[in-house]
Amino acid sequence: MTAGGDTAAFSTLYDRVTPWVIGLVRRILRNPAQSEEVTQEVMVDVWRTATRYDAGRGSAHAWILTIAHRRAVDRVRSEQAAADRTELAGIRSAEVDFDQVADTVTTRLEGEQVRRCLGALTDLQRESIELAYYNGYTYPEVAQRLGAKLPTIKARMRDGLIRLRDCLGTTDGGIRHG
Amino acid sequence: MAEPDIHTLTGPYVLDALPADERIRFEAHLTECAFCTTEVAELREAAVKLAGQVANPPPPALKASVLAAIDHMRQLPPLVAGESGAEPPARRRFSRRSVLALAAAALAVAASGGIAIDQYRDRTDAVQATDRMTSVLAQPDARTVHGPVSGGGQATVVVSPRADAAVVVLRDLPKLPADRTWQLWMIDPGKTAHSVGLAAGDLTQVLNGSVNGMVAFGLTVEPSGGSPRPSTPAAAMISMT
Repeated sequence: MTAGGDTAAFSTLYDRVTPWVIGLVRRILRNPAQSEEVTQEVMVDVWRTATRYDAGRGSAHAWILTIAHRRAVDRVRSEQAAADRTELAGIRSAEVDFDQVADTVTTRLEGEQVRRCLGALTDLQRESIELAYYNGYTYPEVAQRLGAKLPTIKARMRDGLIRLRDCLGTTDGGIRHG
Repeated sequence: MAEPDIHTLTGPYVLDALPADERIRFEAHLTECAFCTTEVAELREAAVKLAGQVANPPPPALKASVLAAIDHMRQLPPLVAGESGAEPPARRRFSRRSVLALAAAALAVAASGGIAIDQYRDRTDAVQATDRMTSVLAQPDARTVHGPVSGGGQATVVVSPRADAAVVVLRDLPKLPADRTWQLWMIDPGKTAHSVGLAAGDLTQVLNGSVNGMVAFGLTVEPSGGSPRPSTPAAAMISMT
């Protein structure tokens, strides 16, 4: 039973991160059965590659959600390539449904902070980031949807994330003046 | 790689928004751009916070399914060799430390993630059965045994002596005639089989009844409605000791 300690640790890890993983995957894929399948692939992958996680290069949380996001996006794109693109585009709403995002179960403190920081972005920064992160669009697709130039969208994604990073990083504890 | 604006690709890269060819090119650039590597790591910590906005509970059966999938699955060896790489026990210790470290690191999100979990735990109208499954799977002493089913498929049992309960996962079972059913058994040390439920096909559920003092899990094919005791040879017999 050498693997006992591993399994118990993994079980704890699973309980902590899977709500985040499946929430993100569902948001991108929309299809519940596919989302479970991809979530299972992600968590099995986490188990298999846990030995290669390097704490010096980022949080465990970021490592796992990066795997999850990449997989969900790859799945959406491979299906999109196969299926009728316009039909799928219809299913995946063009509008960024911010209320729907905000309404879902979320953490009280961090959720508010993230929402406030998102609110501090320009519309173009926020829409670019959300269309890519929650819907899995590439930046050329985002540019087309928002009617903006490619270099503009690339730049807004980056400066938007930088602003988000600075906002989240400088408001530790959730208490802020003003 | 002297493109003037390649550094601005950190944003689309972190959002997985680069088309495949540009992703490959940027990843090659990353290996030689320390500034970009740092920025990617930082922006990634910010980006993943967006996932918290859409967190919601997984179906409890998914955990059983994942635990069944990783049972006996080998972990990859670490990329960077440890102090002594050669002997298997050392590597095993290393891998356990890694998973524990990963779990510990993930606990760092407990302050935020934990709140989310408690919140929706109150909100879900999960049936008792799924709550019970979740609680068995969460037991620290839960361990997994599994075995093949004759005719095809796999049976996995997650047993917790502490909870005196077990979750069974039956996967890829062969289809039975309409007048037959799968019957699940717990075998005691005197080799008497106690029925713990029926199954039409693949399932994930908490076994009915006590597991402590039992030595094996058994699976047979029985007439519809089940039998008081096994009437056919076991399709699966899995030792739990």
